[in-house]
Amino acid sequence: MSGGDIAAIFQGAIVTVTLSLIGILIGLPIGLGLALLRWANVPVLARIVALYVSVSRATPLVTLLLLLFFALPNIGVPVSPTSAAVLALVMNTSAFNCEVWRSALANFPKDQYEAAQSVGMRAGLRFRRIVLPQIVRVSLPGLVNEMSMLIKATPALAVVGVVDITRAAVRIGAQTYKPLPPFLVAIALYVPIVFVLVSLQRWIERRQLAAKVAA
Amino acid sequence: MIHDFGIVWSERALLLSGFANTAILSALSAVVALLLGCILTPALMSKHQAVSGAARVFVDGMRCVPFLLLAYIVYYGLPSLGIRFDNWTSGLAALIIYNAAYMAEILRGAWVVQPREPIEAGVAFGFSEIKLFRRIILPPLLLSAGPVLGNQMIQIVKDSAFLTIIAIPELTHAASSIQSRHYVPFAAFITAVFLYWGLCLVIEAGVSSVGRVAEARR
Amino acid sequence: MAQLVLDVAGISKRYGDVEVLRDVSFQVGKGETVCVLGPSGSGKSTLLRCINWLERPDAGQIYLNGAQVGITGGGLVMGDRDLSRIRTRIGMVFQHFALWPHLTVLQNLMEAPVQVQKRDKAEVRDEALALLAKVGLSEKRDSFPAKLSGGQKQRVGIARALAMRPDLLLFDEPTSALDPELVGEVLVVMRDLARDGMTMVIVTHEMGFAREAATRVLFLDHGRAVETGSPERFFSNPETERARQFLQRYAGDAAGGRR
Ligand SMILES: Nc1ncnc2c1ncn2[C@@H]1O[C@H](COP(=O)(O)OP(=O)(O)OP(=O)(O)O)[C@@H](O)[C@H]1O
Ligand SMILES: [Mg+2]
Repeated sequence: MSGGDIAAIFQGAIVTVTLSLIGILIGLPIGLGLALLRWANVPVLARIVALYVSVSRATPLVTLLLLLFFALPNIGVPVSPTSAAVLALVMNTSAFNCEVWRSALANFPKDQYEAAQSVGMRAGLRFRRIVLPQIVRVSLPGLVNEMSMLIKATPALAVVGVVDITRAAVRIGAQTYKPLPPFLVAIALYVPIVFVLVSLQRWIERRQLAAKVAA
Repeated sequence: MIHDFGIVWSERALLLSGFANTAILSALSAVVALLLGCILTPALMSKHQAVSGAARVFVDGMRCVPFLLLAYIVYYGLPSLGIRFDNWTSGLAALIIYNAAYMAEILRGAWVVQPREPIEAGVAFGFSEIKLFRRIILPPLLLSAGPVLGNQMIQIVKDSAFLTIIAIPELTHAASSIQSRHYVPFAAFITAVFLYWGLCLVIEAGVSSVGRVAEARR
Repeated sequence: MAQLVLDVAGISKRYGDVEVLRDVSFQVGKGETVCVLGPSGSGKSTLLRCINWLERPDAGQIYLNGAQVGITGGGLVMGDRDLSRIRTRIGMVFQHFALWPHLTVLQNLMEAPVQVQKRDKAEVRDEALALLAKVGLSEKRDSFPAKLSGGQKQRVGIARALAMRPDLLLFDEPTSALDPELVGEVLVVMRDLARDGMTMVIVTHEMGFAREAATRVLFLDHGRAVETGSPERFFSNPETERARQFLQRYAGDAAGGRR
């Protein structure tokens, strides 16, 4: 395995991280928006969101990606591999985020909300100043968990030709007839990225548990 | 559009065999991964540092690596060490090894929040280690972790779709074949999506019936 | 004293810097009911847990019917198997009941006799049913613990311990997690056991019960066995200042506590 090969896998790492970040950053607010639609029980829309979430949670990223990549051009929407990848990641992660946000909203203490009403806060202010800060706290471990799940799902992007870490490693293995070294490099790249998130999640959970015990 | 679904219908045998393969792969690996997870959990909780450390490295390692990478390592990587499996065996082995780590971590999470007294009662009544785990600790764990274990089973179904890449004729692979043969991408893949959904609804129904059993035994 | 069942000889235990038990010694004869009293944190639970080696004492010996607990004849610390064999002869009743949530009431009673003692299932079942009748819970045999009241749970806890046919029964504050109106039903069962000659060590804050049912009380303070003697003497005329202070706080309960 040459230095160029290692550089190629690092190139893949940039793709993996960039696409994951874009997916996470777009998926987070969309997930929250979907959760709010369900929380407020907006007629029809809440139902549609529920169905969307249920189906998306059951759909493998590979399958969703193939669907988008091949079917969108079919109905006249041209897509590049990258845009199909981003769209699939966002659809996938927003469904999971929606569930995390929704359960935080569902367990939000009613008296908190009423206290905000009783001091005359209007809906927008109430949400921004009272509800959001608290549900962010509760949702954080679940959201971080979903981020690491998203990163672990990104090798699916290879089916439409995106060259991420895994794809780059497989390619080099096939060219050099020595598949193990590039796989080891790939592991060495994934482990720190995901381990940071896993540790972050554990740290948040432990801190919140300690805060609860102290209270 | 209707015509496209007609084409998919004419290929239903292919699609159904893909569906059956996905179901078999998932069910088999879910059961075996759960069993292995049950064995791995006491190792994670072991008082012996060496045992718990080794288990922790394995579990955290699996949790930090994408499933597809593991499947590739088993399928393409191991042969260079002289260990060669066909794609079915590789895929199944990867699914099992990978998810056993997740199952173990889920059970460990449920274990640490279990009340201590009933377990201590088991010790006081003379249960020795293995029997204590099997008869006193494990059953409530499986019940209380039911929903999370169910989520993991759904994850297994989804992981199995990656195996299309090493040419295992599972559901996504079948949909791909139909799409490339007839160029009906939407109809082919959306049908696959709904079949996946159906499978997950079955799992969820199973979980909620376990939930009813668990409710009485809180 | 009648035949010696339990001999605790100079037990000490510390957690880090905290000395929880300091050189505690006492003996329990067959058929005796010894109530262990003392303020919170004085080491009562730790003492009980040392008796069946749920905690390993740092110093001292424990003998059950003359055989040492926790240490083999060769002077080594017992392994899992030897400890398990001894523990089957020491029953334990827990403060929070500690019933196994996944088993029905009857299964809770049968689990250890069948699985650990390997006794005949049919025989164990008959005995378990008789025990359930004795604690007045025959009709609950197929319920899960979650469906029982606290008092019922604790009566199951006692029956479960009895199903092992133990030589000695340990109770750690068996009524302190109960609503006041449920305490009586559990004490009735315990009083019957005392009358039937069960050998028991009971940690309790129920002074009325201790006064009436104990053959002897042991007063623990800061990990020391400060006083031991007959309940009449202890309650009417304690020897130490600490015991006097302790009893003063329970004065109301001790006077009016005959349930
Ligand atoms: N596992 C442990 N680690 C550290 N300290 C402990 C541990 N268990 C008990 N202790 C300490 O030992 C002391 C005695 O505890 P113990 O539970 O035996 O008291 P107790 O007399 O049963 O009190 P209570 O009436 O409140 O149940 C306490 O100060 C307690 O904080
Ligand atoms: Mg105590």
